[in-house]
Amino acid sequence: MRVEEAILPGVGRKYTITVQSGDRIVIVVHHSGKRELQYFEAGGEGDEPAMALDLTDEEARELGAILAGVLFHPEAVGDTQSKLGQKVIEWIKVLPGSKLAGRRVGELTLPPGAHLLAVDRPGAPLIPNPSPDTLLETGDTLVVAGSREAVEALKRTL
Amino acid sequence: MHPSVEAFALAAGLLALGAALVHRFGFPPLPVYLLTGLLVGQRLPVQDLEPLPSLGLLLLLFSVGLEFGPDRLKGLSGKAVQAGFYDALALPLGFLLGLLAGLDLRGAALLAGAIYVSSSAVIVKLIIDLRRVANPESEVVLVTLVLEDLVVILLLALLGGQGPEGVIVSLLLGGIYLFLANLFGYRLVSFLESLSDELVLLLGAAFTTGTALLFHALGVSESLGAFLAGSLAASLGLRERFERLFGPVRDLGVALFFLVVGASARDLFQGLTPTLVVLALLGLLVKLPLNFLGGARAGLSRKRRLYSAFYLVPRGEFNLVLGALAQAQGYPLVAQVAVLLVLLSVPLGALLIRFAPELGRLLLRETPSPRRPARSS
Repeated sequence: MRVEEAILPGVGRKYTITVQSGDRIVIVVHHSGKRELQYFEAGGEGDEPAMALDLTDEEARELGAILAGVLFHPEAVGDTQSKLGQKVIEWIKVLPGSKLAGRRVGELTLPPGAHLLAVDRPGAPLIPNPSPDTLLETGDTLVVAGSREAVEALKRTL
Repeated sequence: MHPSVEAFALAAGLLALGAALVHRFGFPPLPVYLLTGLLVGQRLPVQDLEPLPSLGLLLLLFSVGLEFGPDRLKGLSGKAVQAGFYDALALPLGFLLGLLAGLDLRGAALLAGAIYVSSSAVIVKLIIDLRRVANPESEVVLVTLVLEDLVVILLLALLGGQGPEGVIVSLLLGGIYLFLANLFGYRLVSFLESLSDELVLLLGAAFTTGTALLFHALGVSESLGAFLAGSLAASLGLRERFERLFGPVRDLGVALFFLVVGASARDLFQGLTPTLVVLALLGLLVKLPLNFLGGARAGLSRKRRLYSAFYLVPRGEFNLVLGALAQAQGYPLVAQVAVLLVLLSVPLGALLIRFAPELGRLLLRETPSPRRPARSS
């Protein structure tokens, strides 16, 4: 697989991915968060895409998670990777009225095996490895990783 | 009620109507704003719309500046940059054209700028709206546009003031801003992070217009000030937030700005001379073969070269800035050519870009010589 990256000033970034079969997929990540996907068949006629697809930021992340095997991992893949497949990353949004809002990270009780990787606050840079005194706000998104059971348990308690 | 509300309601309604009409045909709205101004400008009290149109232009230049962080200028594709050099040949050609038309050095340089610079605002929007972003020619065009903006900013710094003091003042102001940004930038950014969006919007607006005012007061181009404000904000890593906050305000202001330009262009047509028209047409044509060759240099297929030449037809915001500057410095001919170029090239360019695939099929099949199609359109 070959990945070429190009900057599109004023628009975003373009990734051209050529896979083993020679098929090409072009992904444009807009500054607005929109993703544009175009698919070109290997040796296809001309340079018009055979398929084009627009994704919102949220849809793209969901698709990415599925492709990465976060939600379901095929058995056929080798050992080390399937171990990775047992771990999941989840994005948990602090909704209005949630008991998480107004609490500090240190006050959260994370089940063993679950880790808080980052807090994503709209309009602010990502807060990686949030310190215990980071105050959670409505609208934040917690990025949680760990074993599937631990993360599921955490989601239930919230 | 204040009369501006009435003017605004009328203008916004007309613009919306125009935009809705062309939206049905997958056509971009910017040229329609211009034409709306041209058609109804006489009856519309456009001066009541101020300061929204002026603000629109400043914010437009601010967001052009936002695109220039050091991070954006690095990593531009080398091949596309070479296409930009071909494109820049329009500058000496435009300069020569100016001299032939009897202008002095400064006037010819202003004319060269007006002929050279395409409109990032119009073209980027068209490319996104028409879903051509992923195409290979778009990369070349977008990088070329960045280089053009950079060159024109230098040109503005050079010609913006009366004489050499202007350059020195521009450089000095830029230096002071950069120095302050280096000194307080980090603290400022972490301070801004703790503020609400509303406050950042107000602060950003005050900063942009304040910088423009300061530049104007010191006798240099206010557009340069707005641009500098933007690129400074970008270098501090505030780009995404500012783009998100200012996007809608800017779009509204820009729509009204185009309307006002259209309206004020009516007077221009009263003094339409053959020299003016010939200069504008030559200005339009001179870039087509250059960009076609540039596309070849960047490794595009023949069809894509033709597209990229079409894409770079629309002139816009910087032409109006250069035009205003030329008018102020006593070159009415250059000002007229600059505005006429916008009026001609935006609708024409929008059509060429919209129907580039159809035109490409038509032109490239009929004429095997690669250089003719670019001219004959």
